[in-house]
Amino acid sequence: MAAMKRVAIVTGAAKPDSIGFAVARGLMEEGCEVVVADLYTEGFAAFSGLCVRTNVSDPASVEAMVAHAMKKHGRIDILVNCVGGSWGITEQDLRAAPRATFLGLENCGDSDWRTILGANLDSAFYCCRAVAPHLKAQGGAIVNIASVAARKGIPPGAIGSSGPYAVAKAGIMALTRQLALELGPFGVRVNCVAPGVIASGRFLKVSAMVESGKGPEGPLANIPLGRVGTVGETAALIVALCTDDAAYMTGVTIDENGASYAA
Amino acid sequence: MPLKGLRGKRALVTGAASGIGRSVCERLRREGVEVVATDIHQSGGLVVADLSDADEVEKLAAEAGTPDFLVKVAGGPVAPSRGNTLPPLPGKSRLLEDVSDRDWAAVLAANLTSAFLVCREFAPRMKARKSGRIVNFASIAARRGSDRVGVHYAAAKGGILGLTKTLALELGPFGITVNAIAPGFIKTPRIAEAGWGDAGQAFIDALPLRRAGEPRDIAGVVAMLCSDAGAYVSGATTDVNGGWYFGP
Repeated sequence: MAAMKRVAIVTGAAKPDSIGFAVARGLMEEGCEVVVADLYTEGFAAFSGLCVRTNVSDPASVEAMVAHAMKKHGRIDILVNCVGGSWGITEQDLRAAPRATFLGLENCGDSDWRTILGANLDSAFYCCRAVAPHLKAQGGAIVNIASVAARKGIPPGAIGSSGPYAVAKAGIMALTRQLALELGPFGVRVNCVAPGVIASGRFLKVSAMVESGKGPEGPLANIPLGRVGTVGETAALIVALCTDDAAYMTGVTIDENGASYAA
Repeated sequence: MPLKGLRGKRALVTGAASGIGRSVCERLRREGVEVVATDIHQSGGLVVADLSDADEVEKLAAEAGTPDFLVKVAGGPVAPSRGNTLPPLPGKSRLLEDVSDRDWAAVLAANLTSAFLVCREFAPRMKARKSGRIVNFASIAARRGSDRVGVHYAAAKGGILGLTKTLALELGPFGITVNAIAPGFIKTPRIAEAGWGDAGQAFIDALPLRRAGEPRDIAGVVAMLCSDAGAYVSGATTDVNGGWYFGP
């Protein structure tokens, strides 16, 4: 008899040029049933499986999405929290050009702070909390996405980016460690990938706004590997962390940044 | 997305006679990688070499050619010699004042000098090809310190991290990634023989994943780092320890 098909939830997977999209595709290749949770509903047509309009900053929306996934599939084995973004991450921003500013300490309003922490950190907490009882039922894996920004900060002035993003992503690393302790005894592994500059659709749009050869976070020539990362490479790493290849890893952040910051 | 980018590639695996190294060879071969295996310990099909000796490393290079993946597992808490290739593991940690000059030099040579010599020999060949993956072996001892072996081992493995980060900067422009794996408690046959596993049941029960690691757990991460999943990972140390220690 064939093994039960594993079920994965990937948040932020609907935009076709995103890391989340490539993760969803990769998990399908691994044989998973993939549930896509996103606000970018026009991307849902690319998926044959369950897609749920979800605002991951809203716990009620997350609970409803997870209930929907359970109703359809009866189990959840994997959660990948891909939703995030550094500045300009409201629902309207999904369809707009990146904001041509840097958001730092003195120009960050209360609501900006809440929005950025909400989308990047609260979202992962809500999703982990909602799926934990289901993952614990048979074991599984969570992968969170942090950023090299959590290691080295965002250079002030970086267009389309923000300081609170670095703070939120550092929180993701701590959340990863904490949940590794809490969920490990139930066979649930929790790991994190901290990408550097990755050529997602969003990155390409920001790049078009700055002088050539200069990434949003400084000269690309400063990356020892001599290039930005690809969405496919990052997704392959995230997917590998969901598999038995990473069976003895938990609480770990893998820095994936072309040697631009060795933690 | 089963691991991609492995089939048809060539790997050199050091410390391949037993334990983690052997498991790495098996795993890479299963992925379609052509593996040259080496160890100081004689075992079927292996190239025997003492990697703390630059002349032997040079001879090894003549046999191994230019690998796509250089996986350097060789090393450990005690230093082998040509006369005693599989010395028993120490029963308990050695205090600072009990680490002899000889122990210090031998463990540094087996773990750190060997890694340096192998990189110095093979990196120029990889540079010429503008590609390659180097996977070094550190240890949890380099992350949290060692209370099972001693300062000599922790210092040697800490040196591996400096080597890894520096080579990531230096070789990056040539398309070569350089990473380290820091295993935690991995139950290899030698470690089981030394009785480490029996003494530590309470310790294992306190690990978040509630088990000791197996050599295949490390082999999986090696495969990951050599595959497309590791293409943009460089200068990184991957902790594989069941949640014992989370790194920085």
